[in-house]
Amino acid sequence: MNEKTTIATKELLYKIADDLLIIGHRNSEWTGLGPILEEDISFSSMAQDKIGQSMSVFQILQQLGEGEPDTVAFNRASENFYNSQFVELPNGEYDFSLMRHFLYDHADQLRFEMLAKSSFEPIAKLAQKIKGELKYHVYHANIWVTKLGNANEESHSRMQNALNECWNFALGMFEESEFENTLINEKIFAGENELKKKWLENISLILEKASLKIPEEKNWKPFFGGRKHIHTEYLKPLVDEMGEVFSIDPGVEW
Amino acid sequence: MYGNAYIDPNEKANLILAEEDPQKLAEFEARIDRGEKIEPKDWMPKEYRKQLIRMIEQHAHSEIIGALPEGTWITRAPGFKRKLALMAKVQDEVGHAQLLYSAAETLGKSREAMINDLITGKSKYSNVFNYPAFTWADACVIAWLIDAGAIINQVANAKGSYGPYCRALDRICTEESFHLKYGHDNVVTLATGSSIQRDMVQGALTRWWPPIMHFFGPSDKISQHTEILMKWKVKMASNDDMRQQFLDMYVPKIWDLGLSVPDPLLKKNTATNKWEYTEPDWDEFKRVINGDGPCNAERLAVRRHAEEHGRWVREALNNVGSKYIVPLA
Amino acid sequence: MIKSLDPRVTRAQIEENNTITPLKDLDQWETYEVFHQKKRGDQHMHVGIVHAPNPEMALLFAKEQYGRRGMSVNIWVVGTRDVYTSDYDDTDMFDVSEKNYREAGGYKVMEKINKYKKANKIK
Repeated sequence: MNEKTTIATKELLYKIADDLLIIGHRNSEWTGLGPILEEDISFSSMAQDKIGQSMSVFQILQQLGEGEPDTVAFNRASENFYNSQFVELPNGEYDFSLMRHFLYDHADQLRFEMLAKSSFEPIAKLAQKIKGELKYHVYHANIWVTKLGNANEESHSRMQNALNECWNFALGMFEESEFENTLINEKIFAGENELKKKWLENISLILEKASLKIPEEKNWKPFFGGRKHIHTEYLKPLVDEMGEVFSIDPGVEW
Repeated sequence: MYGNAYIDPNEKANLILAEEDPQKLAEFEARIDRGEKIEPKDWMPKEYRKQLIRMIEQHAHSEIIGALPEGTWITRAPGFKRKLALMAKVQDEVGHAQLLYSAAETLGKSREAMINDLITGKSKYSNVFNYPAFTWADACVIAWLIDAGAIINQVANAKGSYGPYCRALDRICTEESFHLKYGHDNVVTLATGSSIQRDMVQGALTRWWPPIMHFFGPSDKISQHTEILMKWKVKMASNDDMRQQFLDMYVPKIWDLGLSVPDPLLKKNTATNKWEYTEPDWDEFKRVINGDGPCNAERLAVRRHAEEHGRWVREALNNVGSKYIVPLA
Repeated sequence: MIKSLDPRVTRAQIEENNTITPLKDLDQWETYEVFHQKKRGDQHMHVGIVHAPNPEMALLFAKEQYGRRGMSVNIWVVGTRDVYTSDYDDTDMFDVSEKNYREAGGYKVMEKINKYKKANKIK
């Protein structure tokens, strides 16, 4: 890989690793506090999967010359994170967290499906490895959103409100990189636009079954910025909390 | 994670055995003597059912409440390995609660009734979780030594008489082995680490030693009550025996790490082969288990909050025509 | 509001003396019996229950509670209400009293052969 391709690839990997880390962290906040035991267990498994996937991506970054995964993840200033603003938002009630899980995980699954064909072998390999995990995450999300969308008036309106709240933030996941063309030309990743298109197709099918309406396109205003280190007020406290113990003594083994 | 079933020593042994069918009772007891398991649809004395429900229910509550002190550190676990392992461990505790509530349900008490009794303070859970996990090292000490105590208790109870409880415990014991390894690894890492880490873990150990000594409960009063429960293999070992076993297994390991236990009297008497220690404060134990501990109010408030905020989910998905049936096994 | 050592609890803004309406009957849904197959070739075995509002979610939950960490390759769920069971009182119906006509050990072939050989002075 030449230098430009390397920079482009690293940025792509950081954005994926940070998204996974932050959403995994958010979802882990539900452990022990979920709406019913069986769901608590399931949601926690998926959070662990995300954190584990994040670690794998940081390991690939390390092979490309970046730092040691623990240090990069737990000892980095929040201003240097590449995650979308979507994933750093607080959990809210279970309706918000489930809707975010639905919207994010569909994008995640499609992104990795596209990456399974990447010319950059390490990420292609990882994509194939985690296929089964992502399958369960999307399966889980689809069932929940469909059932709650159709269950009763309260659950329907909660899920519709959650969708409305999430929408522009979700669109922010597809913020284009300045290296978009490099990634596409080098066949590393077919690009955010392509991903967004597929994502819209997939989620529309399920949302229709769930009797939920996507906001009108004329009202779409993506919340970009996360990929360029512009974050909401919520990221810094999250990152500080995540690194609290690690930073007591950052050089040592914990 | 769990300590021995809390049986209030002042409770009258309301053994209405006289009202039980003597032949059925004899067959029931003979079955237990033969080492066979009692299954959900078997005939059983009312007292057996009552004590088992109470014991398994308390154990289940201990798991879901036990998820809270360690859960305190989930968002702050240092590094990927620890973050993942702690998430997995706390998830297991929730999973154990599910398995144990299920076992108790086979005896005829619904999960709703058990949860209601927990959140109203009516049912008890292991006292040790009424204490705060001040630092990361507290979470590590809990993961090692409280789980160690729980394993001793669970291994004993797994040989008990009630089928569903034994089966749940078999699975729990398997998962606990990871917990114990994880906990020990954490404490060793801190104890052999930087001076900041050593101080943190020593502080945690000093703080948690009294609740750890309380874990197995006060010495059993030899009563007709305890005797019958041991005969029926509901209570499998005495509190003192389990405490001795715990001290035997873990005090040498603690001392091996150069950590000190805050009890000047703690030592093994080579003549009697028994550990000697300062008698724990059982008045404090009683006070805390009856609601007046540092975290009791918070623990239950958190459970109530979780149940309440999840209610819309549960109600939305409930079906007309649902009917509850006692689970099979 | 509770100020907890657990930042999640503090964020949740919980009142220490909160009270809630007790959980109603069936708040925790119905139960499904779970059977899992540890590996291909094995029989499916009963492993416990999940509480779920419908079979799809029962399967979803069972996969996690009884299948995480590679414990299963396949899972079945059946509503508890749909499982018909026998009674332990009827264990005597299962009793195998001496019916050696249908057991391998009930056939003493070597005895017959040896008796014949002896009678006919065959080595």
